[in-house]
Amino acid sequence: MTGEGAEAAKGAKGARPDALAGIRTSKRDELRVVGQPLPRHDQAEKVAGSTRYAGDLAFASMLHARLVRSPVPSARITARDASAALAVPGVVSVLFGEDVPRNVIWVDVPGQTVEVAALKASMEVLATDRVRFHGEPVALVIADNQDALAEACDLVAVDYEELPAVFEPDQALADGAPAVHAEGNLLSEWDIDHGDVDAAFAAADVVVEGSYQTQTVDHAYLEPEAGVGWLDDDGVLNLRVATQVVEHYRDVARILGIPEARVRVIAPYVGGGFGGKEDMTVEPYLGLAVWRTRRPVRMQWTRQESLLARPKRHRMRLRYRTAATREGKLLGQEVDITADSGAYAYLSALVLLYSAVHACGPYQVSNVRLRARCAYTNNPPTSAFRGFGGMQVVFGYEAQMDLLARELGLAPAEIRKRNALARGDVLPVGQAIETEVLLAQTIDAVLGRAGGKPRASGPRKVVGRGLACNIQSYGRLVWLNDSAAAWVGFQLDGSLSVRCAVPDIGGGQASSLAQIAAEILAVPMDQITVHFGDSALNPLAGTTTATRQLLMSGNAVYAACVLLREGVLAAVAAATGEPADSLRLEEGRISGPAAGMRLQDALLACRKRNVPIEALGTFFGPKGRPVVKGLHADRVFPDFTFGTHLCDLEVDLDTGQVKLLGYVAAHDAGRAINPRSVQGQITGAVAQGLGMALLEEVVVADGMNQTGGFFQYLIPTATDVPEIDAVVLESGEGMGPFGARGIGEPPIGPPAAAVASAIQDALGARPARLPMTPERVLECVGGHQRLTPAAG
Amino acid sequence: MTAGVALTLTVNGREVSAAAAAHLTLLRWLRDVAGVTDPKYGCGEGICGSCTVLVDGQPVSSCLVLAAQVDGATVTTAAGLLEADGSLGPLQRAFHEKHAAQCGFCTPGMLIAAAAALADGRRRSRPEIREELHGNLCRCTGYGPIVDAIEMAQEEAGR
Amino acid sequence: MFTRPFQFERADQLADACELLRRHGEGAKVIAGGQSLMPLVNLGLVQPEVVIDISRADAGRHVTLVDGYLAVGALMTHARLAADRLAAEAQPLLGAAARKIGNARVRGRGTLGGSLAHSDPAAELPLVLVALGATYEITDGRRSREAKAEEFHLGFLTPQLADDELVVAVRVPRLGPGWGWSFQEVSRRDGDFALAAAAVLVRIAGGVIVESRVAVGGVSDRPLRLADAEIALTGATVSQIGDRIGPIQGIRPVSDTGASAGYRAHLCRVLVTRALAEAGSRSEEAA
Repeated sequence: MTGEGAEAAKGAKGARPDALAGIRTSKRDELRVVGQPLPRHDQAEKVAGSTRYAGDLAFASMLHARLVRSPVPSARITARDASAALAVPGVVSVLFGEDVPRNVIWVDVPGQTVEVAALKASMEVLATDRVRFHGEPVALVIADNQDALAEACDLVAVDYEELPAVFEPDQALADGAPAVHAEGNLLSEWDIDHGDVDAAFAAADVVVEGSYQTQTVDHAYLEPEAGVGWLDDDGVLNLRVATQVVEHYRDVARILGIPEARVRVIAPYVGGGFGGKEDMTVEPYLGLAVWRTRRPVRMQWTRQESLLARPKRHRMRLRYRTAATREGKLLGQEVDITADSGAYAYLSALVLLYSAVHACGPYQVSNVRLRARCAYTNNPPTSAFRGFGGMQVVFGYEAQMDLLARELGLAPAEIRKRNALARGDVLPVGQAIETEVLLAQTIDAVLGRAGGKPRASGPRKVVGRGLACNIQSYGRLVWLNDSAAAWVGFQLDGSLSVRCAVPDIGGGQASSLAQIAAEILAVPMDQITVHFGDSALNPLAGTTTATRQLLMSGNAVYAACVLLREGVLAAVAAATGEPADSLRLEEGRISGPAAGMRLQDALLACRKRNVPIEALGTFFGPKGRPVVKGLHADRVFPDFTFGTHLCDLEVDLDTGQVKLLGYVAAHDAGRAINPRSVQGQITGAVAQGLGMALLEEVVVADGMNQTGGFFQYLIPTATDVPEIDAVVLESGEGMGPFGARGIGEPPIGPPAAAVASAIQDALGARPARLPMTPERVLECVGGHQRLTPAAG
Repeated sequence: MTAGVALTLTVNGREVSAAAAAHLTLLRWLRDVAGVTDPKYGCGEGICGSCTVLVDGQPVSSCLVLAAQVDGATVTTAAGLLEADGSLGPLQRAFHEKHAAQCGFCTPGMLIAAAAALADGRRRSRPEIREELHGNLCRCTGYGPIVDAIEMAQEEAGR
Repeated sequence: MFTRPFQFERADQLADACELLRRHGEGAKVIAGGQSLMPLVNLGLVQPEVVIDISRADAGRHVTLVDGYLAVGALMTHARLAADRLAAEAQPLLGAAARKIGNARVRGRGTLGGSLAHSDPAAELPLVLVALGATYEITDGRRSREAKAEEFHLGFLTPQLADDELVVAVRVPRLGPGWGWSFQEVSRRDGDFALAAAAVLVRIAGGVIVESRVAVGGVSDRPLRLADAEIALTGATVSQIGDRIGPIQGIRPVSDTGASAGYRAHLCRVLVTRALAEAGSRSEEAA
């Protein structure tokens, strides 16, 4: 099961949605650069060790900043005293909430009012009156050396009067629960009512029920949060930070009460994001420190601080009732989702919306009743994490498919194929699938490459094989009016500059743009420079989240390059008299039927004719109406990516330990700009998904975060992750450049479900709760398989 | 500040003499005093491996070694694997070709762990390579491409 | 990262380190490999005033044979112990335990003396030394004394060591003729702390267990020798092991973020059974 491969799929091309009018795609065999597994330019610097991440830059006479955080999950702040801290030599300043010009960060909670206006939730930059979670920032200490900083942070005296707290969403939503926020503990709700669910269940031959619980998970990127800030020669506040969003310069400006044009965010190469660097991390604090002291400041969070206080993945309770015919055709789904939002809203409402829209999986089902809600608690806040709500529900809907398969005596692959969505089908939320769906092909791909099921290695071991499919959107919610811009310009020597503020968090976001430009403009990759991640110097491209960058900045670069090519060829046509459509742009020259011209000469010809040799491309995402609580929309997301994973594992019947023997993952990437990068996204996402499946949990007890470090938060190592066979299918029907789909998030969805499915195959039962620890797996070992009595 | 400890270490072939406070780890001495920033702070617990450097040829978690403990030692970081002309060394070239770095934050430590493991010249299988790497965490690649790179480097060294 | 400052002293002899401990009192900590101390320092859980470095001290880092016993110096690293040929031949349990510790970096710096002084209830070497009935040689720089492993590990992170004492060496019996051994461990990932572990030696003669030594780790506040089980096993054939073992007495496992007490207790029984089976077949081969 080792080795990699990419297979082109045969698919009929259908009508393209309006958002792509004017964007052409090319046939796969005509592409010279796109589709090649080229080494990425950023990786050369990374392996040389010369890449400077946010924490690697230092300034002379730099200050250091650190946060003082609440040691309790729910309290009123009754006193704050910085005098002892300020007395430490080297301490420059201790700031409280009152020192923040505008001490509030607003978050939209869409669709929650009858009038379709966004509710607003807020949190403070530094808590003044109340803390709501263990780790909430209360003070910012600034010193000229780290030793003074360490000492001073311990000396900031804050008195807390503990308040009643609530730690379970069900309890938070019950009458009389302590109010985490004044407006009540219900943060967000979404309903889907599609077709006639009661009739569907009445007519069903079989109904299966299940309740599933996912856990609190941390991003655990290797680079803890960090950044430096300084005032430049124009008095502009510069923040060079590990972030997925340079547009946070606006939030920092708002907090400081200064014009947005006076703040600049630079995102260097980021040491992993996964959604954890989507909300602001160090930005407001660095901004505050620089603004107050007028000196360069560095902030570096510890790993323990990151595990304590960064927003996490929402833990969810999923209840499913699934109705089907005897032949395994889905008739109806009843779904109930409860999510823990933690102490502050962040992006919880949107995460829940993703869960609602994705809750029925990649299957056609005409009758759905879904109720989803998320509640405030005094647990650590939760927000964006790869998969963004569309990921947790895979554990639920795939379990239901396996339960149905077993009830009906159908193979897991067969029942999925019988229900797979197809072009033209309508999702329960109301959105039609407009592009080809290769779900069946991904199922066949994994089965084909997996070969025979391995044999058990001993008498007290059992092998199981599991399958899981998923659907995951790419591109942002359509009512957010998403757009991205990129500027592409020739230098006079024929080399190319690309300017686009896209943050590069390791997925090759910047090098993909170079590869696209190289394809259209025939410039060799080593002659292209991509300037990325700078909100002041580059056209803005939006967030590196939601699997949107290839769609958005990729299409923007595509558009700019096409404009540029057309202009240059038109100028050459005028200069040579040959028709423009007979000219070809090749490496270093423009060729025509009669003669050719060197690229440098063509560029000079452009200048003589006032033809620009640079172009700005802007891509606007598809649009849609904002949603209301009763979710129904013709379009919620631009498009979706489909995939299937297969997992072979062996269970030790005495200890419950799971050993992963093999893994195949197949996704339709539309068009793989760089197949190696696509495979890397798949293998990385699978590993992260396996961590959630088997190992990871942020343990919070009565609001106290017990997870004190990597010695407790266990992420998969090289011996925990099996060989992963990453198969890339290409329907050519994505909305991205050359027909690409997004691939960053989709592969993280299936692993937990695939592992659970394999455990069910091995033992006849599967854990309903994540992570599937050896203890939980042991509980699934049937009585007849036990050697010794079960653990009490 | 406490009195400094005089220290001289040879870092990537260059002798660096710089005093440092006694409580400075080798990681902080390298990054903040010697200006060598390729070993990274990832956890402070010696678990993630991002701070891995060679001290007298042996891989260590530089966040768990006090700089003062290794006065006089020879230290090699990932940057020390480059050729004399600044081009990528064979292991680095293999990592580059096999896309073994995505965000790249674990990469300097991973390279040193790999270099240490390959130093004995023994040909290792993929499972054995994974065992050598299991103390270095990566969150981006899923490890497969890193194993590919080390396999490739082994092949080339063997020829 | 935000460690509070401390002083650094280097000791070239272990006796000097003891003297420095006396001079500096409670705020002083000894560092060798740093694999136990430094994570605690980095996380702010321990804040020493003085750190006394013995990593380059002139002290035993070898395995030697002395009067028929193996003598292992306290500064022996786990990596060297795992690779040591004399240890592998004379007492394979040592290398088997050392190989399970952490990763290459931990094994390259971590020392035997450090592990024993740290006295973590799930640590591999204290467990194996309790099973072997090893003796620790301890000094305060003026006088030496000996302590049996079983008496030394008093409780959770609590060794029977005065503030100015250091373990100098460990004396370990050789694996005798006809004996078999086994080390079994379950952890969440390779190299992690054991959820439960068992170290077993067994001598089978005439088809029955004549003698055994059974110790378990991770299921109490220190490694436990299962004296009752050893008595119950005497005279048992290999196939009777499961019946003779019964519920394991005297263990007090805890529930924590790693595993529940009940699961640890279950693992304990599974691992003891497996270890007895493996040690038994090694014994029969050795006969």
